[in-house]
This record gives sequence, C-alpha cells and structure tokens, in this order.
Amino acid sequence: METEHNISQELLETIERYLKHTMEPDELATFKTKLEKDPVLKNQVDDTAMIFSGIKKAVLKNKLDVLHSDLTENKAPNKGKTKVFKLNFKSLSIAASILILFGSFWVFNQQPSNEKLFEHYFEPDRGLETTMSQTDNYQFNDAMVDYKNLKYDLAIEKWEILLKNKPENDTLNYFLGSAYLANNKDIKAIDYFKKVVVNQQSSFTQDAYYYLGLAYLQGNNTEAAIEYFKKNNSPKSNEIISELSD
Amino acid sequence: MPEKDTLTKNFLEQEELIKAIQANDEIVLKNLYQENYYKTEKYIVDNNGDIAQAKDTYQEAFIAVWENVQNNKFTPMNQTALNGYIYSVAKNKWLNYLKSSAYKKTKKLDAHEYKIQNKPEEISAEFDEENASKLELVVTNFNTIDEACKKLLEVFYYENKSLREIAAELKITEASARNKKYRCLEKLRTLVQTSN
Repeated sequence: METEHNISQELLETIERYLKHTMEPDELATFKTKLEKDPVLKNQVDDTAMIFSGIKKAVLKNKLDVLHSDLTENKAPNKGKTKVFKLNFKSLSIAASILILFGSFWVFNQQPSNEKLFEHYFEPDRGLETTMSQTDNYQFNDAMVDYKNLKYDLAIEKWEILLKNKPENDTLNYFLGSAYLANNKDIKAIDYFKKVVVNQQSSFTQDAYYYLGLAYLQGNNTEAAIEYFKKNNSPKSNEIISELSD
Repeated sequence: MPEKDTLTKNFLEQEELIKAIQANDEIVLKNLYQENYYKTEKYIVDNNGDIAQAKDTYQEAFIAVWENVQNNKFTPMNQTALNGYIYSVAKNKWLNYLKSSAYKKTKKLDAHEYKIQNKPEEISAEFDEENASKLELVVTNFNTIDEACKKLLEVFYYENKSLREIAAELKITEASARNKKYRCLEKLRTLVQTSN
C-alpha cells in the first residue's frame, strides 16, 4: 500500500528537473533510459506531472476572479472619457450600417427567396480542432487557424498548395469548398464539395451534400439544391426543402 | 512554401507568446483574458444567456485554452489566433450547454444543433476522462491545504521561481524552502491519493 511519503525528496527533485526541463544532457539520457525500463518510475513521473498541472490549474482558477474584477473596473465597454471620439465615429458607422441594413433589407425583400434562404441557413463549417502537435499536419492546421479567424483567402491559398500533393484528400476538398462558399464563391465551392462526395466513405460526405445544397441555393439553382438537400436528408435539409416548395 | 517568410517572421512573436503563457506571465494572461471577454459575453448574452453564465463559460474556456497551451496541444501562430481560439472554445462550450439536457429549447437553436452533432467535440474532450477527473482532484485538494503550503507551491510551480528567489521572498533559508516545498507537495499527493 502507499506510504505517506511515497517519493523520496531526492526522487521528487529528480522528477522535477525532468519535468521542468532543467536536466543536463547526461542526466537526461540516463533518466530517459531508466524511465523506459521502469514502469514504477514512469508512474511516479506521470503522477507528479499531474500534480504539477493541478497546482497550476488551481492557482490560475483562483486568480480568474481577480482578472475579472479588474476588468469590470477598467475595461467596461462604452465607459470612460477617452472613448468620446471613438464613440462618435462608432455611432456614425452604426447609423451608416443601419441605413445599409434597411437598404439591403428592402432589396432582399424584392429578391427571390433563394438568396434569403441561403442567408438564413448558411453558416460556415466551424472547422477542425487544431492541435499542431504533428509536423505533417502543421501546414494544414496553420491554414485552419486562418479559416477560423475568417481569413478565408489566406486559408484557401495555403490549402490549395497542400491539395497539389493530395488532390483526392476529402478533408482538404471539404474545407476548401467551405472556405470558398464563405467567400461567396459558390461555383468554386461546388467543384470542391463534389470531389468530397465522390468518396462515399468520407466522414465529410453528408455535410458536403448539405453545403452543396446551400451552394446551389446561392447560385439560384433550386432544382440542383433540392437534389442535394434530399441526399443529405437531415432535418435541416428537409426544412429547407419544405420552405423551397412553399 | 510561399508562406515561409511570414512563418519565420511570426516565429519569434509566437515563441515569446507561448513562453509567456507557459510561464504564467501575469500581464500576458490578464491581457488575453480581458481582450476576449466582452466579445464572448456579448455572444452568450445574445444567445439566451445571462452575464453570470457568460462569465462562467468564458472562464472555463479560458482555462481550457491555457491548459492546451501549457501541454503543447495548441500552438497559436500569434495572439490573434489565440484570441480566435478562446472565443471559439467559449462559443462551443455555450452551444454544447444549450444543447444539453440542462437546457432544452428547440426552434431557435436548430441551425447550431445541426452543426454540433456532426463535429468533433471541443478540444478538452481529447484529454481522457480518467486523467481529467484526477486533475480535478488535485485542484480541489490544493484548495484545502494550508495557506503557507499553497503559497509555496504557487511560487515554485505556477510562477516557476527559483528556490533562491522564493527563500528571499518568504524570508527563509533556501534549505528550509526546499524541505517545506517537498513536504507540501507530498501532503498534497497524499490527500489526492486518499480521496481517490
């Protein structure tokens, strides 16, 4: 069973040097060899690493409210005298956007309902989690970060380079389609999404059908849009189909 | 890669940022926290939440992001990327909450719901559950140890200060700081083990 101090002070300090990356190369090499052979030691290292992480997390958690209270005093929005000019500028631009909004509302009202439906339903795919741990994914993830930050042009540029080596890759084709559609380039988007659905096994196929429907909607091709929404056959798609046939 | 130049240029900035976060640089963390708060609050309040919920969700997201940077699970290109990341993690957490059984409301959320079902879970799900619950045990038990121990562990492990700095700060000898740190850490370890 576990004794109260199940790690000696010396061992703790060794593990500490290892985890804090302060070991000399010699010591590190010896320690690593030991670690590979000794599951008990491995356990002790993992356990200690967990405790370090827990301490850090607890401390940060306890600090959050300080960060927050400070925020409410100093950075509350629309407060403070320095912002007068900005505010004026802001209200001007708000007024302008309201004008534009009303204007475009009026225009949209006169447009065929496809455009409105697209506006209503379209939301770019949220993108994938970017861990950036593997080097082979680095470039992909780098572009994913741009994508998530709505820098679609930049993401497209980077992904297209990658696509040259992997023209059939479903993930690349899917997100290129998604980025083009978010940039209102529905015809381009359709090309890419179609490359995704060629492969029925892809985990992106269903979503690609849905976005193909939306892309055709954007291009005002109701017939094709319905065809793809039918293939997707999700509640959302069926909802759009029923609105289209109203 | 044509981007290579930009990548090299950003490298220093990126490395500094990660280092600062991993070292828990108070100014950098504060800046990061404040930079993204109101945007997130607005999103949550606009989507059926209140300010208290916005704060909770935001803080959860902030910690999750900080953890991922600590563990090298997310390597931001620059602060803008990190800002976007915090905001999107918070947003996902909020959408998951709205989707959860704790909160059921159908019509308005349909558009989001479609998305979530088909997407991989947010980052922290990657961390396996057993580890996550063990980590929580450490966090809860940390708050139960005495203040002197807490302070010592904080400066040593969170602020990453050297024994010499700590000894000077706490007005004790280095040897005593070293022994106390060991005892405090093992006290915490024992607490975690017995509450397991």
